[in-house]
Amino acid sequence: MWNTVSKGTAAVERAVKQYLPPCQEQCPINEDIQRTNVLISLLPDDPETAAPAILQIGDYLYDKNPFFSVCGYVCGLCELECNYHAKGGAIKRRLLKRFISDTYIPHLETREEWSLIKHKENVAIVGGGPAGLMAGFDLSRRGYRVTIFEASDRLGGALWLIPRYRLPERVLTSTLEGMVRMVGMDVRLNTRIGQGKWTLEKLRNEGFKAIFIAQGTPTPRTLTFGRNQVEGQDLSGVMYGQTFLYEVSHGNIRPNYFTGKKVLVIGGGNVAFDVARTARRLGGETSIVALECEDKASRDGIPADVEEIRGAWEEGIRIIYSRGVEKIIGESERMKGLVCPRCVRVYDEKGFNPAFDPADTLVLDGDVLIVTVGQGPDWTALQEEGLVDGHGRLAVDPVTLQSRNRKPVFVGGDLRKIGFMVEAMQDGLVAAESIERYLQDRDMTEGRKRVFEVQDIPMRRHYLTEPEVVWIPPEKRMHFQLFERGFTLTEAIEEARRCLACGPCISCKACVSIGLRDSLNPAEVLTDRCCGCGICVSACFYSAIQLKDVDMGRISLTDAFKCKSCGMCVSSCPSGARTLGEDALEAALMTAAAGLQNSPGAVP
Amino acid sequence: MGEKPKIAICWLGACGGCDEAVVDLNEGLLEVAEAVSIELWPVAMDFKYDHLRNFGKNELAVGLVSGHVRNSEHEEVAHLLRERCRIIIGLGTCACFGGTPAMANLISREEILDTVYVKAPSVVNPLGKLPQPETEWEGETLVLPEFMDHVYALNQVISVDYFIPGCPPPPELIKNGIRAVLTDDLPPKGSTLAPRKALCETCARNKTKPIRLEIHGPIRRIHEVEADPEICFLAEGILCMGPATRTGCGETCIKTNIPCRGCFGPTPGITDPGSRFISSLAALLKVGTTGDPEAVMASIGDPVGYLYRFTHPVSTLGERCLRKATEETP
Amino acid sequence: MGYEPKLVCFSCKFGWGYLRDLDGPKEASVFLIPVECSGKLDAIHLLKVFKEGADGVLILACEEGHCHFQEGNFRALKMLYLLEEVLWAHGIQKERVRIAFSLDPEGRGIPDRIVQMKNSLAALGPLDRALL
Repeated sequence: MWNTVSKGTAAVERAVKQYLPPCQEQCPINEDIQRTNVLISLLPDDPETAAPAILQIGDYLYDKNPFFSVCGYVCGLCELECNYHAKGGAIKRRLLKRFISDTYIPHLETREEWSLIKHKENVAIVGGGPAGLMAGFDLSRRGYRVTIFEASDRLGGALWLIPRYRLPERVLTSTLEGMVRMVGMDVRLNTRIGQGKWTLEKLRNEGFKAIFIAQGTPTPRTLTFGRNQVEGQDLSGVMYGQTFLYEVSHGNIRPNYFTGKKVLVIGGGNVAFDVARTARRLGGETSIVALECEDKASRDGIPADVEEIRGAWEEGIRIIYSRGVEKIIGESERMKGLVCPRCVRVYDEKGFNPAFDPADTLVLDGDVLIVTVGQGPDWTALQEEGLVDGHGRLAVDPVTLQSRNRKPVFVGGDLRKIGFMVEAMQDGLVAAESIERYLQDRDMTEGRKRVFEVQDIPMRRHYLTEPEVVWIPPEKRMHFQLFERGFTLTEAIEEARRCLACGPCISCKACVSIGLRDSLNPAEVLTDRCCGCGICVSACFYSAIQLKDVDMGRISLTDAFKCKSCGMCVSSCPSGARTLGEDALEAALMTAAAGLQNSPGAVP
Repeated sequence: MGEKPKIAICWLGACGGCDEAVVDLNEGLLEVAEAVSIELWPVAMDFKYDHLRNFGKNELAVGLVSGHVRNSEHEEVAHLLRERCRIIIGLGTCACFGGTPAMANLISREEILDTVYVKAPSVVNPLGKLPQPETEWEGETLVLPEFMDHVYALNQVISVDYFIPGCPPPPELIKNGIRAVLTDDLPPKGSTLAPRKALCETCARNKTKPIRLEIHGPIRRIHEVEADPEICFLAEGILCMGPATRTGCGETCIKTNIPCRGCFGPTPGITDPGSRFISSLAALLKVGTTGDPEAVMASIGDPVGYLYRFTHPVSTLGERCLRKATEETP
Repeated sequence: MGYEPKLVCFSCKFGWGYLRDLDGPKEASVFLIPVECSGKLDAIHLLKVFKEGADGVLILACEEGHCHFQEGNFRALKMLYLLEEVLWAHGIQKERVRIAFSLDPEGRGIPDRIVQMKNSLAALGPLDRALL
């Protein structure tokens, strides 16, 4: 049944004209979402028969995105732009990838590494997070000898901040180990660059011809009110969210750590919610204090995802909106409470500029305060290495990621610009390309910026609503296991079927790759027959056909990038003016005709 | 050679409309009469079949043959013409495709004869006598042509060199056709002497269609509505066979605010326009999110008659061949 | 001796399996033709098949709402409403063309469907070809 044919024609083509479905355009690494969605939709519905096919899809995803298993738990940016969003709910792409990853991870752990020829220069990657690893992975496949310098005792960077109830540990560790093993990267843990022994100069002397710095943002931001540091941040019971999550991920926090304690978490972003929901699971009576307001539609709206807010609320976490923290109340060196004036405005025309109403102040009791208001890079190291400009900002070309001050140095990831995991990965890929161009002395900027046009949702009478996502009831969630149920095989196939394949065939070709079709020929118009009646325009669900007035009159034209070779227009044309080229159907009908005429007739 | 080319204008199963179209050449007819010698024209001149038989093989330059073949007389005359004429032009829709009378193909021969000679209300035929191909009368054998069980298009009986469709064909088309023959300025054999595209190509109403043509509600018939004289019929929910029909008629019907019925038959490359239009209608008929496709389809009264009005003998199911194996083509 | 009805079965590859032609039915009287979409089928394809000797046609299309090409299955349904009239005018009963809307990704149910169709065709008897 599932018969993956390795034909040259089945490979995805780099689009000449820049059309993509909106999900792929939104994805920072332009993953082949459509193709893999269609492949999943065509899986056999028997788990045993489907298993090898699932691994094939996994291999295909892995080839372009070795982090795909992690994405299946933590990403989903594509869903924000899915055309189905307004018609019944975005396709649950993240859960589809999670489905693949659940079968793939065990396979990845035993998968044989690639035998790559590393005949090119040595490249140093500073920082073993998603940006660095992605760059290293890509460069290794291009033939470079990559060494990753990681300051801590493990690879993964900020991915370790993600709580276990969202990202299982095995998925993360297998992904990280797999990447290193698959392409054979050299890893030096516990090696901090930019401090003491290891400088960039030393790296150069060691023979590294290019360096990619992706050290991330290890420094938590402290709490300020106006221009001043809030007093009391050194009291006992006050900690920073980032540090807290790292400690949890190392297994250093015992399960009932916060039992009997009132925990106050300051912050309104996803990380603050991660912290609060983690604290809750450690037994704490937890509240979130956010500067922003509840209305997500307003500019001052709380930035955390709707799902996080819902989850937190279900788990009994109190969310206090529109409050700032003026002072931390302490007693005998211990934190006791907070003074919280009402925040009347977060942003103005100039940007972040909160304003408060001192007359409306709340005092909150608490035993623990976890400050989660953002994180920043290690500026000292950057300054020492001469990577900042006169204004104290990182001096890096935004398109090539090359340092403006030191040509062999490239910078990316959260260090350059705070963002999602996938954006860091994108930086890694951009840096890899830039490094290769730099080392080969080629033009750095040509063809780097690709702008894509997105395609609309195809037409149909009925659109289907999204499946309900099942979460464990909140009272049963007080542990660090996953609370979100993933798809079964049947559910995955059904949801993948819901995907309408909005994008062009050349960026997909799923059907060709499994032998469902031999080739994809866009419909052609026989202009000596076409009278311009427009029936084909009505027949096409993809708006791929237009009428145009040319010399010979009005004729129809097919946009080859939108045509799906479905044949609706061919059968609808009253003049037979459209064709899909060589058609297997015609051949099959001729065989049947011969058979019908020859086979024994009726004997009444 | 000084002699004028000889032509025959002959009718088989015809109504005379095509001959009338020739007459409608008006002054053009005089030009034709000067250029050729009309040797045979049953509707206009007296003749006997022996007259036709006495011509030598290929003696006549052109035979303009109208009408379908549905009895043995038609068949015999068709063969005679084929032998005597160098070029046979199928004149009019009946010759080209079978024409309206071919709707009879959906009724059995028995039922036709029974209805016409026995059951029809104004018939008095207590003994139920039907016409016979042969009968004895006062010592002589009288013969009648045999009534076939199927209506054939001309090229299913003899080979036809050129086709001029239309019910009737516009006189202009006939004139051009004759001129083309006389000046030997002819396309390859088997061609239709008319433009190659469908009616929408030349119809003034084509540009009034919306970008995406859709028919939502029940189909209306032209007499049931006040049709806008300038808007495309299909856009108003009135069926028009224009997209499936060859152009060349000058849109006479359209200009009289009547939708096209398909008398010019299919465009090149298509043999069965009626069946093709089924798929076209399926594409055009939208029923919205709650509509009932069956009801909308049911609002087309007599779809079979509508789709195959002129072309049943050349349709997929209606097609039959009566050509003799030994038939010669000049 | 009963008659063996000749059946042509069109099945949609996306909904009913796509390698069935490799391991499809082996009887001489059944012709299985996989297509990319049931909506691609032309009225003429189906009419020809009857003209050439078929006693029945079975179309296996995707379930409503699940057509890979959006609404090809609905297109086929609309086309059939008209086609039925044409067939009946020629003496071909409507029951001789069936369309089934379902999802059977590996086509395991196809042999059963074919047997069912053949049984109903056998019950109808051979096609009266007087008007064909």
